[in-house]
Amino acid sequence: MSAQLLGLLGVLALLALVLARVPVAIALAAVGVTGYAAIDGWRRALVMFGTVPFELASAYSLSVVPLFILMGAVASKANMSRELFTAANAVFSGFRGALASATIGACAAFSSICGSSMATAATMSRVAVPEMQRHGYNLGIATGAVASGGTLGILIPPSVILVIYAIVAEQSIVDLFAAALFPGLLLAALHVVVIVVIAWLRPDWMPRAPRMRLLERLRASLGMWKLAVLFFLAVFGIYLGWFSPTEAAAVGAAAAILIGFATGAMRWPEFRDALLETVLTSAMLFFVIIGAFIFSRFIVLTQLPAEIVAWVESMQLPGLAILASLVVLYLILGCFLESVSMILITVPVVLPLVMSLGFDGIWFGIFVTVLAEAGLITPPVGLNAFVIRSQLPQVPIGTIFRGAANFLVADAALLALLVAFPGIALWLPAWLKG
Amino acid sequence: MTDWRAIVARLLGGIASVFLLAMMSLTVTDVVLRAVASRPIHGAFELVELLLACTIFTALPAVFLRDENVVVDVGDHVWPRWVPALKAIAAVASLAVLALMCWSMYPRAKDILAFGDVTSDLSLPRIYYWVPVLAGVVGAALAAAVMILRRRPPR
Repeated sequence: MSAQLLGLLGVLALLALVLARVPVAIALAAVGVTGYAAIDGWRRALVMFGTVPFELASAYSLSVVPLFILMGAVASKANMSRELFTAANAVFSGFRGALASATIGACAAFSSICGSSMATAATMSRVAVPEMQRHGYNLGIATGAVASGGTLGILIPPSVILVIYAIVAEQSIVDLFAAALFPGLLLAALHVVVIVVIAWLRPDWMPRAPRMRLLERLRASLGMWKLAVLFFLAVFGIYLGWFSPTEAAAVGAAAAILIGFATGAMRWPEFRDALLETVLTSAMLFFVIIGAFIFSRFIVLTQLPAEIVAWVESMQLPGLAILASLVVLYLILGCFLESVSMILITVPVVLPLVMSLGFDGIWFGIFVTVLAEAGLITPPVGLNAFVIRSQLPQVPIGTIFRGAANFLVADAALLALLVAFPGIALWLPAWLKG
Repeated sequence: MTDWRAIVARLLGGIASVFLLAMMSLTVTDVVLRAVASRPIHGAFELVELLLACTIFTALPAVFLRDENVVVDVGDHVWPRWVPALKAIAAVASLAVLALMCWSMYPRAKDILAFGDVTSDLSLPRIYYWVPVLAGVVGAALAAAVMILRRRPPR
């Protein structure tokens, strides 16, 4: 059997195992080591299998992951989401759709720090949805805004997904964080555009809430300071060259802990919960990353990516058609894989193809993250929708998905803009390098 | 669940949290010293790597004890009758993979010990980095075994 065929069988076996409820990390490792052995013999396969966990366990670049997760967990436990929603509401107050726009703004800001779109969806659905319901908002729009808004954070830096992409694709974390800023903000703005358009088409879905007075608005906007400090340290600290990503994450986490304790928003039990959540999430993620590296060693050995590149080149398809088929592939995968696994599994196979088409590795990181984001709100496994439902059990899941579907237009628009104007992503990293 | 598994998982989580806080504090101190006194901590990089391995691999068995691995459960609504069987197979697969991982890591660790490599800044023996990883994977394998025993169907 040719190595390429083995590679293809490996990918299929992996998908079968994952669908059969084998933990993603275990499935990746099992297929990776078996496939490697089938090509290169068990002796070498076991050497690889025994070395990869260790290489990753102490890889300095990965130390950024648990530290960013800690910063996010502390920000969640310290209730920074409510103040943020109030502040965002003050900013948008006055026009139709203000509450939904404020939800988007608060979700974007909170999820960028928190790093987990599910945690954002969970806390924001408790904070923002009741407020929108009180003002007579359409329930689909209210929950859809939270579901989709929560996904903004996996693009806006600091983002754990971008770190993981950086590691598996061997790209610079700093460049990726710089490349993600404008697309992330643009996507948030596009979400607001969607709300404005819906408010114009269906005014009854979003009744106008009374305008707040200027002084009141200014006072409420100050509630953002905590997250603003964290964002400045963790993101601009990196852009400005003050910190390496790991240092920025450590400083951000320490600042979040200090702010949490100093303002009395977090006490010892919440802090302990945040720590426990962080170490468990990190260990879980690392184990998936280890599995993915074992799997990608096997994939590299099969030369499957090179074969796919050659095959696609022989078909003489335009780059755009290939990109479009990748979008379809990711949307299908997004139906049953969560975003981290999806990126870890596909990037070793897909990135060589994308780069052979002349696309930049940094640019593709942004592109694929937007796609992964869309997967969080599309049925059947749009995780964010289920998280919101668990917080608001009276809302039917279909309502949430239908509401969130409106915002897929924003995701699609951003993807098109990224293809048409790659500079949206690539300008800032180039400028920062001078 | 307030049985001994939950207690062990909490304990491991607590120890891992201490390592994590140490990693954070060390990095922050390094940044501050560099900014204020232009004197970064010698070998901070190597210590962070060591603390990272300790954090992750102390917590790994707890992930298995709490059954918190990333699992795709879309099929659960489609074939609900098969779920218990699939769970059992997944648990056995986890144990097999982890056991094989222990078995293939052990000779690597022995080589490292025999070579007596040390890190460049602090001259820490390389084996220090292997111990937490190996212990964590062994612990995860034990945890996976415990979870299989627990899975016996209720009468």
